[in-house]
Amino acid sequence: MDKNDQRPDPDEILENIQSQMTKPAGKLKIFFGYAAGVGKTYAMLDDAQDRFRSGMDVLVGYIEPHTRPETMGKLQGLPLLLPKTVSYRNIELKEFDLDEALRRKPELILVDELAHTNGESGRNKKRYQDIEELLAAGIDVYTTVNVQHMESLNDVIENITNIRVQETVPDHIFDRAEEIKLVDIEPEELLRRLEGGKIYRPERAKTATQNFFTRENLRLLREIALRCTADKISLDNQSQRSLSNKMANTKMLVCIGPSPSSAKCIRWTARAADAFHASFTALYVEDARGERLTKEQQKTIQENVELAETLGAEIVNLTGHDLAVVISEYAKLSGITNIVVGKSRNKKTLKSLFETDLEDKLISLLPTIEVHIIPGNPGKRKYKKPRKNLNRESLHLSWGDSIKTLSILVLATLLSYGFHRLNILNQNIIMVYIFSVLLISRVTEGYVYGIVSSVISVLTFNFFFTEPYFTLAAIQSGYPLTFLIMLLVAFITSTMTVRIKSEAKLAVKREHRTEVLYEINKGFLATRGLEKIVALTNDYIIRLFDCSIVFFTIDPEHGEDGYVMQAPDDFDASILNSPDEKAVAHWVFLNQKRAGAGTDTLMGAAAFYMPVISQGKVLAVWGISSLKGKLDHDTRLFLRMIASQAAMALERQKLSDEQNKIMLDSEKERMRSTLLRAISHDLRTPLAGILGSSSAILENKHPLDEATRNSLIANIQEESQWLIRMVENLLSVTRINENASNLVTNPEAAEEVVGEAVSRIKHRFPHREIKVIVPEEYLEVPMDGTLIVQVLINLLENGIKYSPDDTPVELHLKKNGERAEFFVMDQGNGISNEEFPYLFSGNKPSGTKSSDSARGLGIGLSICKTIVNAHGGELTAKNRDDKGAVFRLTLPLKGSE
Amino acid sequence: MKMDIKPTVLIIEDEEAISNFISAVLTSNNYQVIKAKTGKEGLSLFTSHIPDIILLDLGLPDMDGVEILKNIRSWSKIPIIVVSARGHEREKVAALDLGADDYIVKPFGTPELLARIRTAMRHSLEAASLRGKEVDQFTVGNLEINYSKRLVFREGEPIHLTPIEYKILVLLSRNAGKVLTHDFIIREIWGIYTDESHTLRVNMANIRRKIEANPGNPQYILTEMGVGYRMVEELGE
Repeated sequence: MDKNDQRPDPDEILENIQSQMTKPAGKLKIFFGYAAGVGKTYAMLDDAQDRFRSGMDVLVGYIEPHTRPETMGKLQGLPLLLPKTVSYRNIELKEFDLDEALRRKPELILVDELAHTNGESGRNKKRYQDIEELLAAGIDVYTTVNVQHMESLNDVIENITNIRVQETVPDHIFDRAEEIKLVDIEPEELLRRLEGGKIYRPERAKTATQNFFTRENLRLLREIALRCTADKISLDNQSQRSLSNKMANTKMLVCIGPSPSSAKCIRWTARAADAFHASFTALYVEDARGERLTKEQQKTIQENVELAETLGAEIVNLTGHDLAVVISEYAKLSGITNIVVGKSRNKKTLKSLFETDLEDKLISLLPTIEVHIIPGNPGKRKYKKPRKNLNRESLHLSWGDSIKTLSILVLATLLSYGFHRLNILNQNIIMVYIFSVLLISRVTEGYVYGIVSSVISVLTFNFFFTEPYFTLAAIQSGYPLTFLIMLLVAFITSTMTVRIKSEAKLAVKREHRTEVLYEINKGFLATRGLEKIVALTNDYIIRLFDCSIVFFTIDPEHGEDGYVMQAPDDFDASILNSPDEKAVAHWVFLNQKRAGAGTDTLMGAAAFYMPVISQGKVLAVWGISSLKGKLDHDTRLFLRMIASQAAMALERQKLSDEQNKIMLDSEKERMRSTLLRAISHDLRTPLAGILGSSSAILENKHPLDEATRNSLIANIQEESQWLIRMVENLLSVTRINENASNLVTNPEAAEEVVGEAVSRIKHRFPHREIKVIVPEEYLEVPMDGTLIVQVLINLLENGIKYSPDDTPVELHLKKNGERAEFFVMDQGNGISNEEFPYLFSGNKPSGTKSSDSARGLGIGLSICKTIVNAHGGELTAKNRDDKGAVFRLTLPLKGSE
Repeated sequence: MKMDIKPTVLIIEDEEAISNFISAVLTSNNYQVIKAKTGKEGLSLFTSHIPDIILLDLGLPDMDGVEILKNIRSWSKIPIIVVSARGHEREKVAALDLGADDYIVKPFGTPELLARIRTAMRHSLEAASLRGKEVDQFTVGNLEINYSKRLVFREGEPIHLTPIEYKILVLLSRNAGKVLTHDFIIREIWGIYTDESHTLRVNMANIRRKIEANPGNPQYILTEMGVGYRMVEELGE
């Protein structure tokens, strides 16, 4: 057996394939109840016992330690995973050990309390995230949850029980469950259990019956739980039916804002969309004055956006002045059929008498679209509409603006006084004042100066320029009207100016974003090559956000480094390639979700990691350093837009890489078949010769004389020598394997290679003169020595064959800059013009010459060319000026690349 | 009497055609031949016949030729010539480093085979009879090395060599006819744990410029590509 031939082990390949195949996700079974104590954990353990007995690899991942004794009895015999102990504010907490569970990889794992919130130290904030990871790892999971923990039912439950449940589970977890097992008992029975101290200790049981465990609550909760299960079942039943029609028909839009009641709208929409089997979009309209939102409000928006996302909404962010117009434009464009808006019951104010409500505006703008109004929670939480805050914000006074206002007003008054002295009419003075108000609105921030100055102008006009002068009283009957009109004109001018200003600002901001995106897109279009795409992205992100970035184009599962780029004024970015950070990136690759700083998963990471996804495949993951502070919502949204651009660029790159590979493969395939054709043709002749000669000797022993026999044997020898050379050439080709990276090069002395080739060729042609010239200088060339010797032998042999026997063949070695040059020269007839095009192709057109005349030449030279190319060298041929041909072979010297 | 001093050659080779051809050549050149088709058979024939030289094919069906080499070398100094295919340089180097005396590349001609066998047997005889007894002089073609005076002459003219160059030349000449692997030479000249292959090649280039008429077509020190160097015993080999 050829020992150099390292064929891959088929078992290994199979194993690789299996590990590469996407593992089927685990199945989730939820034991669902309407209150604590209905027996979920008991039922779960009971089921697990059955599975365990039937031979399944079951592991109890986590069971609440305060579980009741009867239930604990059910644990008997099941393998337990020890919880890890986490200390949190000096309290020892027992937590589910996710990593150990993943390492242990049972077929089925039991994890109690789906809605649990993990301690700070855990990788995931919520237990359901742990469970998602388990499922992703192909492990089946049993878990328990109560109805009040369902995210979308959160408000409903709150209305019934007056208790706000903090620990919620997004509905999609519930939806992805393979099986929902409703654990149900009569509320009366539950209460009896409670009284019997089977659920809580007696003193807690008492408070429980007063608050949560009232008979009415339990009945209602039970009803919700039953309905919920029924919905799930009917959804499963319907899912076989084609839903596409319906889905296309209904498209819901929920408008979200900084108000907490938005959350309620989102939940309602999620439920409704679910019921209609429709998709829904959450639209957040950034106001022109968006920057003035308080931190708290921004946080609420962020939370609302995330809530909508967890409930499966598509998030859209728009900017505009008039909420209703923006919403209606978007709805028209994207074919929305239902719009959900929240409405708080504000006290009627004077202002609200003049303003049309959002829903009314929407209805007038979109007569065909249904508008759903969800009432906000009346007066429960301290919440101010943002507009009030905005007003306070815009009431903000600055010295600069006050001085500007004052000086403009004083100037206006002085000018008017001049006019007055010149007896110019009062109308002009009014004009001066209105102009000054316009000017003030232009140069100051916000509405307040404009409004104040309008009032002041009216007063000063009244004071200085109306009879009686220097009083605020006006004699002429028309004056009050004048004042009023003047006030209104000033007022409207000022508000309009401010609005135009803010819109202009907004337009600039929007313009900037669009410009950047356009620029990135242009950059991507002009960029080829993975590394360049990465560098471009990194560059832009640093320029935009001043944060260091790490870009992983492959899953750093085995510690592969990402491309890190350091932002000038960020912390040291090298930690982004630390094993901990890579683990986060790896998680993102696996789970296709964002993680790291500012998210719910692996929040301890130094950066915020997001996947670049295209067609359900993670093409890359980038991490944006959050050491300077967490990224705000705006940044993330913008990042996502860039990500989609990057995804397109990466996808395109991937496709073009694949295409190149296919082209290369087909080229190789073409070469291979050409070679094969040529070889079989060339092998036939000598084999026929050998067969003929040998059978002549064997079968015609007597009639053959000595000389004939000897010549036949010499024929056999010659033909077999030729065959051997041919086979050696072919072996050389398999050695490069048509892949330059397979080439193992060692530094060799060029003269030794020449010497070896010459000595071997002399062995075969002992009587032929071969002139060898090597330089005084020692030349070291990285190469596969055997292959280059093969090339030189082929070239020398060609020279010998195609030149008269009495002429020498020359082999010169020279140094030319960073390359070693070998020249093989003969004094034959040279290469004919017809031969030139096919010299190195091994593909001479049939019929131009008899195959015998150029036997082996084509293949020999094409193999030489292949070998030399694999070494990064060149092989060329030309005719000498006087007589014969010269082949020039150059190879890069050591260290030249 | 004459029949008894015929040297015995053990051929361990699974290809019958090759085995037959070698056997025919050797028999007609006054050798006694034993043929083995597998490694196991080879080992048992070796212990029962105690041949004078072994021709060992490295690619055997039942066991790795290298294993046979190790096995025999663990208790015998019998000359072993490895038969291998071209392109398997690592295999050859490994065999030489494990104690094979020489190698011959398939396909080979009759004179080449006979020369290798003669050289290997002479070396083993010299090693046995001349142990400790130093030869004073080495001559091949126009090259002459005087060991006691530490002088090298080319066409009667003394040539100047550096100490390292001289050591290399001595090492090669004392093993003339045998191929010495790069590693072996490096070990002998520089010591065991150094990688001086570059230095060796440079030194060799310098030696050739001093002793050879044309370093591109050497007469005295031949390169065995990827394996090592061999000093010829007589010119025109």
